[in-house]
Amino acid sequence: MLAKRIQPTASRARRLYVELMFQVMGRALQAVSEVDSEVQREARALPEGFLFEMMVMPAGPRLIVEHVGDGRFHYHGNSAPRPVDVSIQFKHLAHAFLVLSFQEKTSVAFANDRMLVDGDVSYAVRMTRVLNRLESFILPRIIARRAVKEYPANLHLPEKLVSAAKIYLKIATLFIQTARA
Amino acid sequence: MTNTYYEFFCPVKVIAGKAALEHIPYELNSLSAKRPMIVTDKGVRAAGLLDPVIAACEESGLNIISIYDDVPPDSSTTVVRDIAAIYRKEKCDSIIAVGGGSAIDTGKAVNILVSEGGTDIAKYTGAGVIKHPLKPFFVIPTTAGTGSEVTSVAVITDEKKGVKLPFTSSFLLPNAAIIDPRMTLTLPPHITAATAMDAMTHAIESFTCMAKNPLSDAYATAAIKKVSNSLLQVMDNPKDTDARLELAQASTMAGIAFSNSMVGLVHSLGHATGAICHLPHGLCMSLYLPYALEFNLETIREPLGELLLHLEGPEVYAATPASRRAETSISALRNLRDALYRHCQLPRTLKETGKVTEAQLDLIAEMALDDGSIMFNPKEVSLQDARAVLQRAWA
Repeated sequence: MLAKRIQPTASRARRLYVELMFQVMGRALQAVSEVDSEVQREARALPEGFLFEMMVMPAGPRLIVEHVGDGRFHYHGNSAPRPVDVSIQFKHLAHAFLVLSFQEKTSVAFANDRMLVDGDVSYAVRMTRVLNRLESFILPRIIARRAVKEYPANLHLPEKLVSAAKIYLKIATLFIQTARA
Repeated sequence: MTNTYYEFFCPVKVIAGKAALEHIPYELNSLSAKRPMIVTDKGVRAAGLLDPVIAACEESGLNIISIYDDVPPDSSTTVVRDIAAIYRKEKCDSIIAVGGGSAIDTGKAVNILVSEGGTDIAKYTGAGVIKHPLKPFFVIPTTAGTGSEVTSVAVITDEKKGVKLPFTSSFLLPNAAIIDPRMTLTLPPHITAATAMDAMTHAIESFTCMAKNPLSDAYATAAIKKVSNSLLQVMDNPKDTDARLELAQASTMAGIAFSNSMVGLVHSLGHATGAICHLPHGLCMSLYLPYALEFNLETIREPLGELLLHLEGPEVYAATPASRRAETSISALRNLRDALYRHCQLPRTLKETGKVTEAQLDLIAEMALDDGSIMFNPKEVSLQDARAVLQRAWA
């Protein structure tokens, strides 16, 4: 009886967590593209107007970012202005939760068939590198190691702290702008 | 409990061994197919490889309704559309692809068009677009390496846009793969060597990359053992039917393994090199295999060490200290490549190919980083890493 009551609550909490993480990640992608030259270099190879989506199948939480040119991303929230170019799709909310709660690395989730790529795989690979770079910046090293295949050896504490502070500040600003709008 | 999870899928009926071709009429009949079309290339036809297929069918009163023998090495959307038109005009009801990777991929793409309708194959590109079973489709491989007879992928070039279109669906898998040693008996030595190394690489990457699982492991190790035991036997005696069959089976088993566990850095570099320098895929696999394994060594020490048993047999495995087995596995592969070089001058370095310049290495490295298979490599690969591996493979 108790289990039946707890389960929907747990499921709702998981959905809320995934939705929140997508909102943070979307804004963080925009922020890191304004801060980090390596991310800008990766993003410049994407066509201008390129729309990238991460979502939970079949119609769950999602985030959409656009490459607006010169290596910069713009976060569109959960709705795309036109059909997306590349979509990374979690097969189930539980799988998204595993990845976004850092219980399973993104690369392991791909290997475990938790996610699908719809669109040009080479762009999806590039976006995964961007996501890895972002996670290495904004997560404490001990957690980042659980999220990425390999923590970058050349990312030292001073650079990480300065970049993370800039990214978090931009994320906060973007949240405030959204709230005001 | 760990987060360990895997998927494994292979519904292809494997019909292998002596007189396997003679099973085709029965198998087609069991699927109610009476008007098969053969899709192949000129090389296969010129080598006389269609003769036993046609004879096997005619002996059972089954007529091959149409033969398309002009599949190019890089099949295109136009070729697929043309073959589909012939299929419809001749009222065929099934497809038999006879050949290597290109003929098989073309057969898969034609099957999409004739089953789903329309003339534009580009409409069906991507993963999971096809939602229904397709027409009866058989594959008879004439090389022992690609494993395409058991993979759910096809790649077709869109000539107008100049891009390669990938098609992925479990419905692309053939109903049956017919593995008959007669079909690889006349394969020239350098193609035999390169395609066998392709199969070897499929199996080794399947066993050492991120999506390895217990079922793909079983197929991979069996395939490695077969290639190790039979490849040099075939090089010494190309007419050895039993050894040819062993290689053909190894290729299919490696295909089953890697299509359920994916591949890694060797394929990323190989795909890029194939696209830029137009080297055959199997040769690229042979070129990069030891260098990519050396790069991954510390991440894959345990599984690579295990493979020594299948590469060199129990005596060598038992005599090698556990801490040296991974390195000895790489040495075994180097020795195999040296032996193939002595047999048929199969290049061991990029320089030996005579078709790659050192100036192209940077471009290859950049393209390899965007290849889908790099996702499954057990170790993260940076641009500098890829350049370093290429430099080692250079000379």
